[in-house]
Formats: sequence, C-alpha cells, structure tokens
Amino acid sequence: MVFPPIPNREYHEHFMRQAIQMAELALASDETPVGCVFVHSGEVIGRGINGTNASLNGTRHAEFVALAEIMSRHPQSILTTTDLYVTVEPCIMCASALRQYGIRAVYFGCLNDRFGGCGGVMKIHSDPGVDPAYPVYGGLFREEAIMLLRRFYVQENEKAPEPKPKKNRELKTEILPVTVTQPTAAAAKSNMAAARAGELKHQMA
Amino acid sequence: MSLFTFLFHASTSLFEHVRHLLEQLTSTTMASPVDSVAPSEGWVTKRSHSHRLVQLKTKEECRLGNETIQVWTVELPSRHAEWVLKIVKEQVKDQDMIDLQHLRRFAKPKFLPQHVVGQRDKVKEMYSIPRAWESTPFAVMQAPSTTTWEYAWPKNTKQMNRPQTLHLLICPTRFIQLSDLHALLMQHTPFCSSADSWAYPLQIKEVTVPLLSPTSPQQADMWSRDYWPTFYRKTNPFGAHPATIWKAEDELQNVSAPGNVDVKEAMTLAKTVGRETEIRGYGIGPGCVIMERVDNVTQIVAVAGDARSKPVKAGSMVEDTNTHGCNGNIMGHAVMRAIGIVGRKRLRAASHIISTRAAKAERSFETCGLGHDEQARDAFFLDLPITPLEEKYFADDNLVPDGYLCLRLEVYLTHEPCMMCSMALVHSRVGRVVFLHRMPQTGGLTAELARNDSGPVGLGYGLCWRKELNWQFMCWEYAEEQKKGSTGKVEDSSTTDHHAQHIARATLDLTGMDTDFNGEDDDDDDYASVSSFVESTHV
Repeated sequence: MVFPPIPNREYHEHFMRQAIQMAELALASDETPVGCVFVHSGEVIGRGINGTNASLNGTRHAEFVALAEIMSRHPQSILTTTDLYVTVEPCIMCASALRQYGIRAVYFGCLNDRFGGCGGVMKIHSDPGVDPAYPVYGGLFREEAIMLLRRFYVQENEKAPEPKPKKNRELKTEILPVTVTQPTAAAAKSNMAAARAGELKHQMA
Repeated sequence: MSLFTFLFHASTSLFEHVRHLLEQLTSTTMASPVDSVAPSEGWVTKRSHSHRLVQLKTKEECRLGNETIQVWTVELPSRHAEWVLKIVKEQVKDQDMIDLQHLRRFAKPKFLPQHVVGQRDKVKEMYSIPRAWESTPFAVMQAPSTTTWEYAWPKNTKQMNRPQTLHLLICPTRFIQLSDLHALLMQHTPFCSSADSWAYPLQIKEVTVPLLSPTSPQQADMWSRDYWPTFYRKTNPFGAHPATIWKAEDELQNVSAPGNVDVKEAMTLAKTVGRETEIRGYGIGPGCVIMERVDNVTQIVAVAGDARSKPVKAGSMVEDTNTHGCNGNIMGHAVMRAIGIVGRKRLRAASHIISTRAAKAERSFETCGLGHDEQARDAFFLDLPITPLEEKYFADDNLVPDGYLCLRLEVYLTHEPCMMCSMALVHSRVGRVVFLHRMPQTGGLTAELARNDSGPVGLGYGLCWRKELNWQFMCWEYAEEQKKGSTGKVEDSSTTDHHAQHIARATLDLTGMDTDFNGEDDDDDDYASVSSFVESTHV
C-alpha cells in the first residue's frame, strides 16, 4: 500500500510526534508501544497508551483510554470535530468505535496488517454502513512506529497462553512495505519472539 | 447420512425426550425465573416459539463456495491410465500448488456430467482428421455360413470393440499450454501408437471444476452432478471441523451435569439482564451472558446489559452524536461491558504475580503523564456491575484463576454484535458465541451479504471465522423454529432451506419494523419485545 500525500503534512507531523512520544513512554514501562492523541482545534484533548495489561482486558486499546479522558471533560459531540493521531492504524474494533462516535479524521503511522480496520485488513472507516465514513491518512513517521513495535516484540511477555512456535520468525532490521500489530497479537507471539531474540544474541556472542 | 450421524441424532433426540419428560414432572413444583421459555416438541402448553442452534456460515464458505478453476482432461483406455498419470505428474511442474484432492483424478464416463463427456474438443478441431467409420452408412451383409442377411452398424461395432475408458483430470490449465500438453501426450501410449490412437484419438478438453473442497455431502453431490465427481471428506477447510461443531452443539443444548445452564436458559438470562438495565433507563435492551465451561460444568462468570444511555458524568445527559440512531456511549454496549467485567473479576481474583504486573502497568499510566481519574474511567467503560443482577454474578468468584482474557469462554447475546463488539470478542479469544437476533445493518458476525429471494441480509463481515485474523470462534444464531410442520429435529439436508426461510422472515420482520416502530408485537414471544429499537442500531 502506498500512502497518498497528506496536505499540510508538517502540521500533522507535529501531533504524530506527540503520539510517538506516548508510545516511547509506553515502551519504557514495558507496555505495548502504541500511542495516540486526540486533537481538537489544534489542542490535544486526550492521550492514550494501551491499558490491556492493567485491566486484564484485551479491548482496552490506546484509543479507548484516550476517549475515557476526553469524555470526563467534554461532551461526546466534540468528537465530530476532533482528529485522532495514532502510531499504529486503529484495529477493526477501534475503527468501528471511532466511526460510531463520529470521529472527523484519523492519521496513523504504520499499517496494522494483522487486524487493522482502516485499510490494513478491513476498511471499516469507509465501508457501507449506517454511520458516516471518515477519512484516514497513513504513513506519518511510519518507520519509527514500526521500530517501536519491533523493539517491544523482543521483550518478554509471559502472559500469553501456550505460545505456538512460528517458523521463520526472525528479528528483521529493514523496513518492509507493510507492518505489524497491536497488543493482543503481541501477547500471543512475543514469547517466541523473545526466544528468537535470545537465539540471535547467542549466535552473536 | 452416515451411521455415526444417525446415532448421534438418535441419541440426542432420546436424551431430549427423557429430559422433557423430567421437565414436565418437575415443572409443577419448581418455578425458575429462567424457565419462561417452554420446551419444544408437543410439550408446549404456553404459546411460545422454540429455537434451535443454526451454525453461522463463515465468510469463506459464502465467498469461495462456488469458486471454480479450469482444468485439462483427457479420455483414455483404463489400462493406460496409471502410466499417463505418471507422465503428467513428472512433466507438468508445480501442479501440486493447487489442491484438488476433493476431485476424482480418474472418472468413468457414466459418472461425468453430460456437458463434460460431450464437450467440444479443441485439439480435434486443430488437427481435424476425417474418420471413415463415422461417415460410412450401415451395410447389409451375408455371413459365409448362412443365407441370412444382417445389418451391420459401424457404430455398434465400434462400441463393442472399445474397452473401458476413463477421463483423467490432468491439471489446472494455467500450468501447461494446450499445445505443450498435446505434444507431451503425443509422445506416449496410447496416443503415440498408430494402432491405439486410431481408436483413442487424443482429445484434450477444458473443463470447469470446483476449486475448493465441499463443506457438506449435499454440496459434493451437487458439484458431482454439475462439474466433476467430487468427494466430501468430513472436513471443512473454511470453518470449524464438523465433529467439533457437533460436540459443541451437544454441550450447549444438553444439560450433562446437575445445575448446568443450557443455551435456552442462558439466552433467557441474557434477555433478562438487558431488560434490567433498560427499565432503569440505562440502555435499550440488549444483554450479554459470559459462561465458563470446565470439565463439563458451566459457570456464569459475567452478565451485562446495554448501558449506552447511562450518563458518563454525574448530572449530565448522554447525547447522540448521530441523529439516526441511539449511539450514546459506545462503550456501554453489552458485549464491551461484559468483557470489561470479566477483566475486573480476573483482576480481583488474580494471583500475586498477575496483580503485581497489573499494578505495574497501572503505574505506567502515571509515568506517561496520563490522568488517573478512576471514577471518570469507570463511568466511561462501565465495566463494573450497575444492576443487582449484574452484581450477583460479579460477586461470585467462580472464574478459573489467572485465566487469559476471555479465552475459550462462551458468550450468549440477545443480538448480533456490532463490528466493534465482534472484534472485541476476537481480541478476547472467546470460544463460542450464540446470538438470538440478526442485525442485518450493523451486525459483524454473519457472513451472508444478500440472498436472491430476500435481498440484503447482512454486512458480510463474518468476523467469527476470518482466516486473516489471529483468532476464530464458533458462532450460532439461536434461530426460531418453523411455526408449522416443524417436528423439532431438523435433518441436515433441510438445514439450509430452513435457514434461508428464517433469514427471509427476519428481514421481513425488520422491514416491517420501519412502519410499526415501537408498536407492541401481537405475539407474546418473550424475545420479540427486546428489539424495540431501529434496525440500524449498533448493538
């Protein structure tokens, strides 16, 4: 997928930088490095990182955490004039929720080819449906968003049940056309990733 | 129907029969709140519909079921069949890349559809040779030893002398060009020998065959009739294995341990749960029940009703962001709430290790400079009980400790969930989902897009079983039995018809709701009153 040019890119990069910073903070505290900010009239009104580990709830994605903050201070209708900046494309669940809440637009870093809902796997943002569609713009600091995820996948996450061995799983260093995922897939696979990373270290030593 | 299937059905019916007898005996003394749906099959004294599980078709079953591929075939004497197949396997590269194991490699002419046996032969047209015996008229002859004149029919002679032939499915047409294949086969018997090739001219045909395995014996029969002899191997590459589905359906419907909850009771509870929040003005009626099944014992671990209208801030009203529906707080959908409640319950019952880790994760919010207004967060996510009924099931510490999300739990819903909730179920790794009402405009689980007889029937997402996603679960519609002529147990062969009729009827019902919105259903079906909102509502 080739991302089309984004008008006024620098303006949007400013906010995506803040979303990246959220993801950096998440990574520093062993959380899945996905970060997001909601922006209304040039002002950040909500920020979020994944809350799945804290809530033992696989649906507590960064977007929802930020929405909770927004709803505590603003009426829900503010979302119809609000844009979302998120380091990884919203998943199918979040894409649907954002559409039902009436978000104005979504800007993201990298695609989520495991369960992306804004083009990665499905197009929940623009499919025929009862709620108005919203535009999405991808590719803002894409490489950084991907590298954040890769750094996370070599960390350990022992909560996943019976991790399945994955053939050909290696730590990639070059950036390929499309990319990886959000938290729950991470949980299911990171054990193996960690084991592979261990192997790599072993080989290098 | 195989013997196994027969026995399975027979034992199930017997079991149900005995159970219904028992229910009859006990119903006079016991009145359970979840017993309002009467048992089916002639025992009904109260006017009510019986329901049964109808497994949802997966997206791939709907999308790919009729996909076909072009293959080359050739007719040849059976004594040469193995040799020619060997040549083809050696010489045509990469043909194993397409799995056609569901098709017979060799087929007798009598088992082939007429259009395949009698199809135009392209090579014959390329190298057309006049064949004398076909144009020679019959002759009248006298045998040397008699004086009788006999008619000699060239056609008869040909048929009698010609041994059995078979049709060989060579390979998909994309793997070898017609001219190359022709040249290859011309080098080998019987086509290279002038004697044999006289009787068996090389006739390569292009035939359309089903690309993918059939998912039922009926489909295999149909394809054998229409395309090429096809096997049904009692597997389903596009969904759960049939044996797994039978086992699941048995577990859902038959109470195998005292105190267990079956699908009927669970569904009634889901409805009650939804109504509990609705009468308090919190939501619009849908309900969700999450159940754990360990060693054949069921435990209801969480229940939640729709609470989209519950104000996020004290003293404020929930507003609709859209004018056309009852959007409200999307986090208040019953599925999202129930999943959240399971998380809260896990957190409460977590071992030291898990709770330490969760607490650490919680602290990372502060590290990230995120607000820590717990009250506001709870009011938004609504992942704590808000009715006495929800509280009752939340208080019960009956979850297997330190489980992962909602791994392999069973979910009972009054309505087909929206895309957000459907994906939330995928993220939560649930095992089985049963819902009562289809939501053709908003539902995320059904895979059908449209039907010829009734038009659009759904969005076609089929999220319960998508190969692209990292988790699949089995899903059923708890469909209403046919009112007339239904004997309760429906055989496999009529399943699809019944299903189709149900969909058609459901769609009609929904269409009817447009004009009769909020009107009380004249039927006293316990479930009917639940869908008192427009069909474009996300549930």
